[in-house]
Amino acid sequence: MTPNGAIAFGLLVIAAAVVARDVMSLAVILAILLTFALASRRSILPALLWSAGIVLPLAAFMALVWVGIVGRAPHEIAAGAEGSRAAAVAYAALVCLRLFAIAFAIQALFLHFAGWTPLAFVRALTAPPIAKKLLVLTLSLIETILHAIDRARTALIAGGIITRRFSWRNLRHGWLLVQTVWLTVVVIAIGRTRDKWPIEGTLARLDGTLHAAAPRLAIADLAWGAAGLACLIAAIGLR
Amino acid sequence: MRDFIAGANFSGRSAALMTRLRERLSFFVGPYAEGALSGLSSTVADEIAIYRAAQPAHAEFSALDFAAFAARKPPTLSGGEQVLLALHCFSRSDYNAIGIDTALEQLDPGNRDKALAYLSGGDFYAALIDNRLDARPGWSTQACTGQAAFACNLAAATGALKPCAAPAITIGNLSFAYPGGAAIFRNTSITLSPGAWRLTGSNGAGKTTLFKLLAGVLAPASGTITLDGAPYAPWREGNRIFALAAQNPDHQWCGATLREDMSRRRAALARHSQIAVPDEAALAALAALLGVPSLDQHLYELPLVARKRLSWLWPLSGALPWIMLDEPTIGQDRAMRAALGRTIDRLAALGHGVVFITHDDEFAGTVAHRTVRLAGQAMMVD
Repeated sequence: MTPNGAIAFGLLVIAAAVVARDVMSLAVILAILLTFALASRRSILPALLWSAGIVLPLAAFMALVWVGIVGRAPHEIAAGAEGSRAAAVAYAALVCLRLFAIAFAIQALFLHFAGWTPLAFVRALTAPPIAKKLLVLTLSLIETILHAIDRARTALIAGGIITRRFSWRNLRHGWLLVQTVWLTVVVIAIGRTRDKWPIEGTLARLDGTLHAAAPRLAIADLAWGAAGLACLIAAIGLR
Repeated sequence: MRDFIAGANFSGRSAALMTRLRERLSFFVGPYAEGALSGLSSTVADEIAIYRAAQPAHAEFSALDFAAFAARKPPTLSGGEQVLLALHCFSRSDYNAIGIDTALEQLDPGNRDKALAYLSGGDFYAALIDNRLDARPGWSTQACTGQAAFACNLAAATGALKPCAAPAITIGNLSFAYPGGAAIFRNTSITLSPGAWRLTGSNGAGKTTLFKLLAGVLAPASGTITLDGAPYAPWREGNRIFALAAQNPDHQWCGATLREDMSRRRAALARHSQIAVPDEAALAALAALLGVPSLDQHLYELPLVARKRLSWLWPLSGALPWIMLDEPTIGQDRAMRAALGRTIDRLAALGHGVVFITHDDEFAGTVAHRTVRLAGQAMMVD
């Protein structure tokens, strides 16, 4: 599978999850996503747990507000009906399932390209050079932030302000870590953009690096693209 | 054509280097990661790919086995390895000029000699700032004579220090490996009594890693640390005996201004009853002697050399019994290196323990010290 096909599939499935209005169509989407994730031949358990972890706060909030406090579903309120908690539960489940499908779609895409570096992924994409360059810059920010976290932790632990392991001190001074991380990110970015990049024309070098003659689509892309399209049609058809 | 840019700190060498590099498209290797690496790659292989030209213009410089390093994240390399990676990237590129600002000072003697020979023998323009050299044969010397700034008086800074009884540190059966990486230490033991100790080893041997283990930034896979026989686990309890001056001073600030950094550290140390925390006025006076007279100085607005000197504030305050100096001479001119050598001698004479890392044999020769050599995942007293 190529990054082009993966992104097309991901967009189709996410669009399907957004327009889906019932549990049945979301079940179809999740089944296809599960198959897609399994096709990566990697363990899908972490992807499922991450997706569930993302949905959990929303699920707790919706359960509290819609089921616990309001006790009715929004469409029942709009219709002026008395409503029921069961309808509120169904509504909350639908919204959470939709978010879960979107989160899991992104996780499944990551699974397929787990062995790729961001630069290799962007290089294989078919996109305007400026868009690819922007993508590389954005993704490099993740590495910069991770590096800044490491630096800031080193500073605060060596300074005795926080400890390496969990402690109440860490909870109390957590904001210092956040402040130090952002300060470090800014310093690293300034350091690069002041000397290294302008002297070398580093960003201009990316044009050559990102130019790729890789195939735009592979057979697998077409198959998964059709599956994604089927998801979208099912979601629209079952509305 | 090759230019060696000579001069003392703050004499305008970096500006002179930049002026030369802006005259042509050049590769730049500055001190520390921001100046050595592109910041656009997540692996060593990608870093090389960014610079690789279809037809490299020069002979290959390959002081490390980059195939073995291919999947490593560039910022996780040691300072010296980052410089070697940058030089390798240059050698695979089509740049016809390179400028190096004090970065070679981080290299071990073998790699430093290789790098200097490569720069001297290539068919490209090179400009170099290096505090450990006065001139280079075959290079034209450009002397900078700008006005000195951030005056630093190390002798006065340590003048009021009181005697200290630092505990002996015993490291027993220490093992450590970075996640997914090869072992750095394997069941190695050593005892450090108070006095000056130099840590030596090739780039990537684990010198900075040992500092991080002692300061509690990293936790060992197994092993113990004791202070005069009493168990000490800084990775659990927090650091209370080591004042660390990091290789890159920007790895140690705990605030945006000197006042912020100082007050947070003082509050952290005040939790330990056995530490006599210096008051703010004493620290402010010490900072002034290190070249920074205002507590409201924004740390990151200082020049790098001034930041490096200010990073010695806590080690020189006498608050903590052990002092760790990671490559303290990087970027420092000859006069400052000599003063720093005398300072380490004085701290050791007062009863402190001082562990320092340096690849500068000339500097180390000015300090009365014992040596711990790191090699083959072990620590050995030479």
